[in-house]
Amino acid sequence: MKTFQGYRRSQGLPGARNAVAVIPSVFCANTVARRIAEHVAGAIAFCHPVGCSQVGQDLELTARGLKGLGKHPNFYGAVVVGLGCERFRARELAESIAAAGKPVEMLVIQEEGDTLRAIEKGITFASRLAEEASRQTRETFPLSELCLGLKCGGTDATSGLAANPTLGWVTDRICETGGRAIFTEVTELIGAEQILAGRAVNPRVAGEIVTTIDNMEKRLSRATAGADVQHHSALISPGNEEGGVTSVVEKALGGIYKAGTGPVSGVVGYGEYPSGPGLYLLDCVGHDGEAVTGLVVSGCQAVVFTTGRGTPTGFPGVPVIKITGNRTTYERMKFNLDFNAGGIVEGTPIAEVGAELLEKVLRIGSGEPSRAELLGHDELFCITRI
Amino acid sequence: MAKALKINPRDNVAVLLTDAKAGEAVEVITDSGVLHLDARGDIAFGHKIALGNLTAHQPIIKYGEEIAKAQTAIEAGDWIHLHNVYCLRGHENQE
Repeated sequence: MKTFQGYRRSQGLPGARNAVAVIPSVFCANTVARRIAEHVAGAIAFCHPVGCSQVGQDLELTARGLKGLGKHPNFYGAVVVGLGCERFRARELAESIAAAGKPVEMLVIQEEGDTLRAIEKGITFASRLAEEASRQTRETFPLSELCLGLKCGGTDATSGLAANPTLGWVTDRICETGGRAIFTEVTELIGAEQILAGRAVNPRVAGEIVTTIDNMEKRLSRATAGADVQHHSALISPGNEEGGVTSVVEKALGGIYKAGTGPVSGVVGYGEYPSGPGLYLLDCVGHDGEAVTGLVVSGCQAVVFTTGRGTPTGFPGVPVIKITGNRTTYERMKFNLDFNAGGIVEGTPIAEVGAELLEKVLRIGSGEPSRAELLGHDELFCITRI
Repeated sequence: MAKALKINPRDNVAVLLTDAKAGEAVEVITDSGVLHLDARGDIAFGHKIALGNLTAHQPIIKYGEEIAKAQTAIEAGDWIHLHNVYCLRGHENQE
């Protein structure tokens, strides 16, 4: 049986890391949050530009995103930092994290007095949580306790030929054994809706898949309609095009290989964790930061990120494992890339390369740092908006 | 000789596994054996080569599905990319 070493949580899946999250409920608390984390080994600040002057669905996305982050299994606990007058209240965030069974502390800058007093209190809170976290040791968990995020970025023609099919092989193994996997990037699923609907576990899920992709296509159609934006209306990037990808549909068909071949169990909304085992589609855009953040705030303990052109990015506290099927890219960006799936292009059987990738995922899930972690890449935290 | 891969039996394009120079012979690996054709222009690694002649508006098939339509007549051996195909998905005035 495949296993990994994780940190047990009082609820939900185990953690692949054991950091303390310092989460501002509003951007006004960013500097205080950052300074708290700077003073405490094992603490990570999640600064963001939202939390106030938002309404309705937009504010709801922020709330769901930060709540999903706060209860994430890779964090031992959290310190929530509010300003005091913001729309997304620090208390609402702290209570939702506590309800998920996690140690949480809260401080509000306007109640503490000023920046210095807020930082001092935050350091006290974060140090205590970090100390408690340090006493926890890793335990053995089966593969079925893993929820893996699936992502691609900097796509070229090798993504659909090698890297995504390799990841798809891993996805199938995880889902067959009762684990979870989540794919997203709905902006880049256009043209693949019928194939995915055909893999749905039931007609309701099939309908949700088609509706999710159709809504995103309508949103893109509106955004690209104006005569004044035609020079910015391409749905794929210049790098995709240089790499041999011609259309958004070609990108979609190559992209869905990473979701393997098994049934799709459901569609999850932003900040929503899957309710059970299986493969899920997350309703989120394809922007690397927004999509990886979406995968994290839906509970993925690790993300495998396929790339043809090569990208260095990472997410604080959650390993983002980079794999490429492009040998030239692998040689050029070696230190940014965790895994070379290029052998498939030369005829190595997919099961062989896939089995190696699964071992790599389990090692990184058990504590081996991903390249993005080694290099301190943390640019992928990015709350989505409407 | 350059090399290319036909991914799905339904495809009418193959993906170059090496760079191909104009006029260079291309060996295309398919499910049912190897095809040969000549590249009608330089085609870079990862880009697509037409496996047969196409008239304007005929579908371009890769991964067994339509990824775009021909904008103009395309001949076997042509490079297939943004200059000679179109795809309206995600844009208004879809067909």
